[in-house]
Amino acid sequence: MKTGWKRSAPLVALSAVLVWACGVRAQEYPVATKTLKNGMKILVQPDHSIPNVALYTFYKIGSRNERPGTTGISHFFEHMMFNGAKKYGPGELDKVMEANGGSNNAYTTRNVTVYQDWFPRSALELIFDIEADRIENLSFDPKKIESERGVVASERRTSVDGENEGVLDEQLWATAYLAHPYEWPVVGWMSDIEHWTMADLKHHFAMGYSPNNATMVVVGDVTPEEIFGLAEKYLEPIPAHTPPPPVTTVEPEQLGERRLLVHKPAELPLLMIGYHVPKTDNPDFYALNILQSILFAGESSRMYQRLVDKDQIALDVEGSAEVGFDPTLLVISAQPKEGVDPAKCEKAIYEELERMKTTPVSDQELQKAKNFRLAGFYRQVQTISGRANTLGTYEVFFGDYHRLFDAAKNYNAVTKDDVQRVAKQYFSPNNRTVATLLPEKEEKGKP
Amino acid sequence: MSARRGSSKRREKQIPHPANSGEIRDDRHCRLPALRGSARLPAGSRRYQTVLVVVAMLAFACAARGQGVKLPPHEKVVLPNGLTVLLLEKHSVPMIDVAGVVKTGSLADPAGMEGLASTTAGLLRKGTKTRTAQQFSEEIDFIGGSFGADAGADYSSFGAEFLSKDTEKGLDLVADAVLHPTFPQDEVDKLLAQSVDGVKAAKDSAQSVIFDYYEGYLYNGKGYGRPTGGDEISLKKIRRDAILKYYETYYTPGNTILAVAGDFQTEKMKKKIEAVFGGWAAKAAPAVKSEATWAGKGKRLLLVNKGDATQTYVVVGNVGISATDPDRVAVQVVNSVFGSRFTSMLNEALRVESGLTYGATSFFSMEKEPGPFAMFSYTRNETTEKAIDLMLEVLKKLHADGVSAEQLASAKNYLKGQFPPSIETAGQLANIIARHEFYGLGDDEVNERDQRIDAVTPEIAKQVIAKHFPAENLTFVLVGKSAEIAPVVKKFAEKQDTKEISATGFWSGEK
Repeated sequence: MKTGWKRSAPLVALSAVLVWACGVRAQEYPVATKTLKNGMKILVQPDHSIPNVALYTFYKIGSRNERPGTTGISHFFEHMMFNGAKKYGPGELDKVMEANGGSNNAYTTRNVTVYQDWFPRSALELIFDIEADRIENLSFDPKKIESERGVVASERRTSVDGENEGVLDEQLWATAYLAHPYEWPVVGWMSDIEHWTMADLKHHFAMGYSPNNATMVVVGDVTPEEIFGLAEKYLEPIPAHTPPPPVTTVEPEQLGERRLLVHKPAELPLLMIGYHVPKTDNPDFYALNILQSILFAGESSRMYQRLVDKDQIALDVEGSAEVGFDPTLLVISAQPKEGVDPAKCEKAIYEELERMKTTPVSDQELQKAKNFRLAGFYRQVQTISGRANTLGTYEVFFGDYHRLFDAAKNYNAVTKDDVQRVAKQYFSPNNRTVATLLPEKEEKGKP
Repeated sequence: MSARRGSSKRREKQIPHPANSGEIRDDRHCRLPALRGSARLPAGSRRYQTVLVVVAMLAFACAARGQGVKLPPHEKVVLPNGLTVLLLEKHSVPMIDVAGVVKTGSLADPAGMEGLASTTAGLLRKGTKTRTAQQFSEEIDFIGGSFGADAGADYSSFGAEFLSKDTEKGLDLVADAVLHPTFPQDEVDKLLAQSVDGVKAAKDSAQSVIFDYYEGYLYNGKGYGRPTGGDEISLKKIRRDAILKYYETYYTPGNTILAVAGDFQTEKMKKKIEAVFGGWAAKAAPAVKSEATWAGKGKRLLLVNKGDATQTYVVVGNVGISATDPDRVAVQVVNSVFGSRFTSMLNEALRVESGLTYGATSFFSMEKEPGPFAMFSYTRNETTEKAIDLMLEVLKKLHADGVSAEQLASAKNYLKGQFPPSIETAGQLANIIARHEFYGLGDDEVNERDQRIDAVTPEIAKQVIAKHFPAENLTFVLVGKSAEIAPVVKKFAEKQDTKEISATGFWSGEK
C-alpha cells in the first residue's frame, strides 16, 4: 500500500522461492531442519556474509480463525506479544532487544501471524530467551490492553480509513465473501477493536500459540547445531496443546457479479475488481502466477500498455492474489486519471482479460514472465531476512519447503494453453466483485 | 498500490503485492515516508526506496560490534571524458546493480517550473535514438530487469538491476537511456499529465504529502522548500524545449557518477563500461548554487485542511544538518535515543505509554545543505492537542536532561547491530558508494563507524542537542480536519497559516 514500508509480501516471497531450483547458488545455503518434541519445527540456513541473524516465527493463525465480534483479534494479539511476559515485563522486550543491537517487527495476515527479529549474532541466546518467555508466559496487563487498543485504532485509521485504497479494499473483500471468514479485515472492524476483552485475548492465545502450531526459520551467521541446541534448551520444554480448530466454512460458489460503491471526499476515483481463485497449494498456482506477470509485470505488461500507455485512462493498474490456506481473491486495481469514468477503465480491463481467453499469448510473453519470476527470486533471496521470510512462507503454505524443488519444473511446464485455460476458468463475470470509489465533490460538482 | 504515485516518484512496475486488507505489516518503528526534497537514488524497483530510507536514517550508523563490517573493496576510475566509475564486486547472487548520480537536481529547476529535473529523469527511458518507450520496456522486462530514474533536490539519479548473464543487454539499455534520450513530444505530454494526477492522488493520503507541505513551509518555498516533483501548476508549465535544455546542460559525463556493484569481474566490467560510456562526449556542466538556507525563527504553524480526516498528521521541527556536518555521527546517536527507534523517547511517550498513536518518530534528512529535522506523528482528531503537547514536552526533556549513560549505550549498540543488513546487497552497496562519492565522503564513513559511535559521550550529546535540536524556533505543519482542530492548535504558534489540501500546490512561500 502506501510508502515503502509494506514491502516483501507473502506472494512475492512465494513466487520467488518457487524458482529456487534454478538458482545456481542454492546449494551454497543448505537448509537444516528439526522438529522439537513439542511439535515446533525449526529451519536453519547458515550464511556468514554479515554478522547478523534474521529469526522469523510463523504461527498458523490469522483473521480466518476469528469470529464476528472479535474480528482483528489476531492482529491485536500480535501487538500484545510485545507487551510483557514473565521474565521480560511490559516494555522490557523492546528495551532489552534494542540495547543488545536487535530490532523486531511482526505482521498478521488472514492466514498467519509472523514475528520477526533482526539482531547481531552476539544477541542470539538472548533472543531465544525472549521468544520462549513470551510464547510460554505472556502476561495480560489490563492497562496495556487499553493503551494498545488506542494504538491499533490509530493504525486502522492510518492504514484503512485514511487511505482510499484501504477503504475500498476492505469493502471489496466484505462483499466477495458471504460465508468464509476472509470477509472481514485483518485489522478488524472499529467496533470490534473497541470492544474485545481480556477473555478474548486469552482464548486466542490458548488457541493459536501452541508450539506445534509454529514454524521458526533462522537465517544468518549461525550453525544448525547451535540453533537446535538453543531450541532444545529454551523452546522444547514449552508444552504443546491443541492447535486451532480447522476452518470448515467453504465459501459457496459466486452465482453472479457483485458491485459496490463507496462515496467519499477524494481527489480521484478508484476501481478494484476481485476474482475468486483457488487456495495457494493448488496446481493452478503456477499458471495463475504466469498469467499475472503477463498482465501486470512491468511497463511492457498488457494492462499497463493498454490502460496507462495507449488509452491513457489510468495512472496505474496492478493485480495480485493473496496467498491463502483457503480459496482467495485475485484483485485488480486501477487508479483512473482525473475526469475519467472508472467504468471506462473497467471496460478496458475486461477487454484485456477477454483477449487472454480467446488468443494464446506469444512465446516471447511466456518467456518474459518466466524470466521475471527468476529475477524476482534472486531479489528475494539476496538478504537474510528475505530468505527467512521466503523459506517460512513456503514451508507454511505448501506444507514442506522441499516442494520448492519441484517449482522450477512446474513453472517451466506452464504452457500457453494453461494460461488460456486459467484465464477462461477464473475471469468470468459471475466470479467477480467490482468495487468503485467515487469522489463526493466530483459527484456534486459535475452534471 | 503505491501511494507515492506522486510526481516525484516515477513508477516502475514491480512484483505486485497483496492488497492491504490482507496483511497488516506492523511498522513498529514507524518508518517515514521518504521526503520529497531529499535526494534519492531510485532504481528499478521500490526496494530501492527502502535502501534510501536506510541510508537517510542510518546514514551515520556504525559497523557491527567487534571487528565491525567494512565496505567490500571497490575501485574508482575516471574515464577520459570525465565520467566517474565506481566498481564493487559482490557475488552472493548472480545480479548486477547500477546506481548513477547526475550531480544536479531540482535546485536547478527554473522558478515556477518545479518538477523539470524529475520529469527529465522520468523521460530517459521513454524513447531513445534507437528505441521507442515501448521497445525499451519490452527489452528491460524481458530480461527480468528494472530501470528507473528520478531527481532529488541535490542530484538526479538513475538505477538499474539485471541478472549478470544479461550484462551486455543491461548496460546497453542503461547507456541508451542516459546517453541517447529523444524526449518524444507525446511521451512528454503523457508523463506530465500523469504527474499532475499523481500529485492529486497523493493528496488523498495525508501522510503521502505532509512532508511536501513541511518542506515548503519550513524553507518558505525556497531551495529545499520547492517541490522536487513539481505541483499541479508548475508541471503544466514544463515544455519539451526546457527538458532538452536541462538534459543537455547537466547530463554530461563530467557531472555523472556511475556505480556498478554485483556479480562481475572488475577488469572485464571496466572494459565494458569504457566501451559503452566512453563515447559520451565530454562537456562542462555549470554549478548550481543553492539559495541561502532559511532558518525559521519563532513559532509558525501551517494547518492544511483535509475535511474527511479522522486523524491529524503532525510534523514539528526546523532546519537540521548537512550530510557532511562534523556532528553527524553524534546527531545520529542522540536521535536514536530521541526519536528514530521503537524505544525512543518520542515513541515511548506517544505510543507505548499513552496509546495516542501507532507511531511517533524523528529524523534528520542530511543533504548537501542542511536538510530538515522533523518530529512526526498522528493521532485522532480529539487527541491532537494532547499529542502535540507531549511531543513538545519530550523535546523539552531532551534539552533539560540530555541523554543518560544507559540510553547512550543502548543507542550505540542498536546503531551498530542494525547496520550490517544495510550493506548486504549489491543494490545497497552501489547506492552507498555513489552517495559517498557525491557528498565527498570516504569509506571511513562505514569502516570507522564503530569507533565514531563509541566516541560519543554524554557531554558531546549535550552539545549536539543544544546546537542541532530546535527548542524555541519551531515550524509546525498539520494535515487534518480544520473544523475540529483549528481552535485547539492556535496556542502552538503566534503565526498561523491555513491551506485547503484540494487547493493547488503545496507551500510556495510568503507573498
